[in-house]
Amino acid sequence: MANLKIIRERIKSIQNIQKVTKAMKMVAAAKLRRSQERMEQARPYEERLSGVILSLLPDVERNLLPLLDVREVNRVAYVVVTSDRGFAGAFNANVIRRTEEEIRVLGKEKVDIFCIGRKGRDYFKKRSYTIIEEQIEFWNDLSFEHAIKFGNSIISHFTNGVVDEVRVVYNWFKNVANQELRVERLLPLVYDEEKVALVDRLYEPSKEQLVRSLIPRHLNVEMWKYLLESFASEQAARMVAMDNATENAGELIRDLKLKFNKARQASITKEVLEIVSGAEALANA
Amino acid sequence: MSSIRLEIVTPTKVLDEGEVTYVRCPGLDGLFGVMTGHIDGLFALDLGEIKVTKEKKDYYFATSGGFAEVTSDRIQLLLETIERSSEIEVKRAEASLNRAQERLASMDEIDIARVKASLTRATVRLKVANR
Repeated sequence: MANLKIIRERIKSIQNIQKVTKAMKMVAAAKLRRSQERMEQARPYEERLSGVILSLLPDVERNLLPLLDVREVNRVAYVVVTSDRGFAGAFNANVIRRTEEEIRVLGKEKVDIFCIGRKGRDYFKKRSYTIIEEQIEFWNDLSFEHAIKFGNSIISHFTNGVVDEVRVVYNWFKNVANQELRVERLLPLVYDEEKVALVDRLYEPSKEQLVRSLIPRHLNVEMWKYLLESFASEQAARMVAMDNATENAGELIRDLKLKFNKARQASITKEVLEIVSGAEALANA
Repeated sequence: MSSIRLEIVTPTKVLDEGEVTYVRCPGLDGLFGVMTGHIDGLFALDLGEIKVTKEKKDYYFATSGGFAEVTSDRIQLLLETIERSSEIEVKRAEASLNRAQERLASMDEIDIARVKASLTRATVRLKVANR
């Protein structure tokens, strides 16, 4: 009988877990839909701004602009985009592992880290990496202002000459089932020298000044894109992880129910046997 | 009157304003207007007011700045923020205007440039909202 009770309790607790994972899955699905919409809304701006900038850049003296300045790489900044919460499969682990691999190549002392999201912050802080800035607990009210803030502090870190290159590690949203881990170079800005589309037009103020104010905006938008991609990926990863968890819980419950019924039948059989043999013993006496 | 297509693109939304006859933008060196037949160009925009004339009616927007790309068949505004005059919350703008003025008056603010920026921003929004 004790066995039966234990199994019953386990079934109950797993059912509770299943309820939680199911709810988390639903929440993630709702958030995913919203973040996907946002991504779609941001795309036209990003594309057009890039278009404008790429048509201008080849025309501008490279060394005039600090953000285009390609230097010998002595120190690198990594922008590590993770989530604040776990339960999203390998979402954060992938980013962290990849970042560590990259850092190992360069040497820990040559790397500054910008942590976006609590998971990455906790990990790198514990291992005493150089963290320049951390931003946590903002994902729920993510807005373009965040991108501007990150963008500006990253830009000044680069233009002050502290680092010679800025790279971003984040999850790129491929589709709901797949997120691709990407490492991209944010600074210095690179472009294809071949693709010069010279257009005859009026520039107001000068081309150089235009580029100078375009580039920070372009970087803000890139930053915004990274945040949106990562947020959508996080939700997708969580949704899939929680879907699997719900399914696994279902399987466990099925197995336990089978066990429970077997145990129940066994105990009934045992009781019947005891009664029958008891009755027989009495009859024989 | 001949018209030109106007598109306003921001990081959070795209406004397709359709065919308009006139757009007035806050350039860095002052206001400038665009009508059909304008020369192709790329212009930096300051924060300020954008006026759009469509079917003989005027519409006003507040922006925090960006770029205008003018080609023969369309005007494209790439802006970081855009607010229609009807969308602006007057109370909030007034509150931030007062706050900025107080700070400027007390002069203990370290970041004067920031306060001034917030002052102009609030002024622009109020001006647009009251159109």
